Amino acid sequence: MRSLLPTLLLSFTLTVPALSLAASAPPAAPPFEAIAAQAEAARAQDRVADAIRLYRAGTQLRSAWSDGWWYLGSLLYDQDRFSEADAAFQHLLSSPAHRSPAYAFLGLCEYGTGNYNDALTHFRAWAGAGWTGSPELRDVAVFHFALLLTRDGRFVESLYLLASAAPRLGDLPELSEAMGLASLHMRYLPENFPPEEREPIWLAGKAALYAAQTDQQFDRADEFAARLESRYGAKPGVHSFRATLYGFELKKAEAESEYRAELKISPNDVSSMVALALIDLEKGELSEADGLARRALDADSKDAEAHHVLGRELLAKGDLNASLSELETAKQLAPGNPTVRSHLAMVLSKLGRTQEAKAESAAFVVLKNKEDVMASVEEKLGEKTPEKAH
Amino acid sequence: MRKALLIVSLAACAIGAPIASAQNAPTASRQSFDQLLQAAEKASGENRDDEAIRLYRRVVALQPESEQGLWFLGTLLYEKEQYPEARDVLRQFMTLRPDAGPGWAMLGLSEFETRDYRRALDHLQRAMAQGMGDRKELIQSVFVHVAVLLTRFERYDDSLDMLLRMLDSNAQQQDLIAPAGLAGLRLPLLPAEIPPDRRELVDMAGRAVLALQTQHREEAETAFKRLVAAYPNEPGVHFLYGAYLVELQPNEALPELERELEISPTHVLARIRLAEALINRRDFDRALAVAQQAIKLEPKRASAHMMAGEALLGKGQSADGIKELEIARASDPAVNRTHWDLERAYTAAGRKEDADREKQEIEKLSNRNPQSLPGNAGDNPHD
Repeated sequence: MRSLLPTLLLSFTLTVPALSLAASAPPAAPPFEAIAAQAEAARAQDRVADAIRLYRAGTQLRSAWSDGWWYLGSLLYDQDRFSEADAAFQHLLSSPAHRSPAYAFLGLCEYGTGNYNDALTHFRAWAGAGWTGSPELRDVAVFHFALLLTRDGRFVESLYLLASAAPRLGDLPELSEAMGLASLHMRYLPENFPPEEREPIWLAGKAALYAAQTDQQFDRADEFAARLESRYGAKPGVHSFRATLYGFELKKAEAESEYRAELKISPNDVSSMVALALIDLEKGELSEADGLARRALDADSKDAEAHHVLGRELLAKGDLNASLSELETAKQLAPGNPTVRSHLAMVLSKLGRTQEAKAESAAFVVLKNKEDVMASVEEKLGEKTPEKAH
Repeated sequence: MRKALLIVSLAACAIGAPIASAQNAPTASRQSFDQLLQAAEKASGENRDDEAIRLYRRVVALQPESEQGLWFLGTLLYEKEQYPEARDVLRQFMTLRPDAGPGWAMLGLSEFETRDYRRALDHLQRAMAQGMGDRKELIQSVFVHVAVLLTRFERYDDSLDMLLRMLDSNAQQQDLIAPAGLAGLRLPLLPAEIPPDRRELVDMAGRAVLALQTQHREEAETAFKRLVAAYPNEPGVHFLYGAYLVELQPNEALPELERELEISPTHVLARIRLAEALINRRDFDRALAVAQQAIKLEPKRASAHMMAGEALLGKGQSADGIKELEIARASDPAVNRTHWDLERAYTAAGRKEDADREKQEIEKLSNRNPQSLPGNAGDNPHD
């Protein structure tokens, strides 16, 4: 069975290209060269304590020895000695060859030391640099990145990352737990949620995980979701989660009913209001859609989807200027959302602003085509080049 | 409990008296180090724990690779319930002494307390593999933690195996009721995570499982019946009872497993057990249909293919049966029953060489695990 522990990274850390001492070390420095050779030998022979000691000595002698820092950090990381590993990886941020995977390792180390905000910053930097690293590193780093996104309240982004990994990782208990937290919109980490919440988190997580499999195992997902609802139907977030699941299954009536049930429990739940507004919009019930979207914006004026759906409703009503204003706001709040661009193009076109409409249409096509690509909006739109992989 | 655990664990981890890294130190600093170490040991011996921790911290600051300093500091911090710091210190110790079983035990226990459950399980299992001497209390604690963690990682059958081993070693049954109940009901919770309104359910299931494991059949039967009567609609309850009945009273197992499937329609193991019960009744057509449903739900599950193979053989479809059994063997070569089935099927088909090979596999597996019997369906979903 696979796990998401750093031991997975051992192969990665040991398969990094061989030390380029000849290139990185100045010609005559016997003590350093001797230490570096001993360090490499200790590492090759799996004498971990000796290797750590020697790499430490080597990097003290020559602080520009980036391969030394790399191996020192990797060895400490494999020993779960995160604060020491973190200090070693920090030295690699100025090394173009190591910077990108170092971001991921820094994120993982900082997660390990409980320095969560810095960890999230480094994972974002890693994503911005092109998500580089071995498949094992990517799995572990993406998983922890997703956990931190959940902690930060970015549930949709977190679930996107986790669901992308689900078909590859399969029925992994850690993954279902992480998906459960995000699905129930609980801003916790696996290490710190209240113990009494474990059962609903598990049930929601299993449902989400089965639904995310390549063959979309909705029967199994529904069974866990039904258990969740039957046991914890009065808990905020449970009905909206069930509704989302029904949405994936294209069971619109059931989804609508669940969203309405959620609003009885959580009257200010923005995502349920937005989802219901969309359902009303699709049914052509514009005034209901309008009311729900505005209620959602009263609850959270910075919700991109609420502005989006209101913009669409105003477009359907023919109030083009008001629609444009809402869609522009949605674009500002969620620049990577392709459908916002598409609706914006429609409104701009109707307003006769052809060039701007074309630009938005082009952005829509690019973003849509790269919807499954893990990259920043700027990279997707070609406004920024990702850093090269190590 | 904790204090006793610490004392035994300290004794269990043999630390060489001369400390390699300190031996090479210059004389003056060596003297200072020795004095500090003695003072720390004295404070610890006199139960002045805070003072001992302070002194051991200085020992480690002076000699970061002092095994003795790291070990005593780590275990004292654990004792004082300063788990994150204990964990970090013990991780340093384990880099130096990866051969120290009690060290993995203390590290795993610290990680359990900091809720780093995957690492805790890995490290506690490593402690078990390396051994912890004859320190019964530490071993008992490690076994209980491993058993509950296996359940939390949905390895219910492994957890039950572990609990059975503990029963064999006369562990306190009271401590095992909740872990057994959770594993039996296939609820991946720690005992501390059981919601208050589920405690009775878990307790009843645990008592039934333990009665069964300790061969108290009548007591087990009564406990299972009480459980089913009290929680007739609870997922997992009818499966637990049905699985118990399969070999003893296959006719009575059927309605229980069927009821479980009404409550939990995608329960793969209930299907496998149902197929097994139907095979026992020689109802091969239905057994095959049920096994095929299980395969559809989990195509990689060895026991589902094994049941399909047995049903096909029962129907006289030897070639198809062998194919299914070969899939089962490929998915999980450690299941003795598959090899028994194949040995018989190959023999019947006149494939002597293949049959002999299976016989050899059976012998190998039996030598590895004398308790492996043809009845072991190998239903562990995650191994």
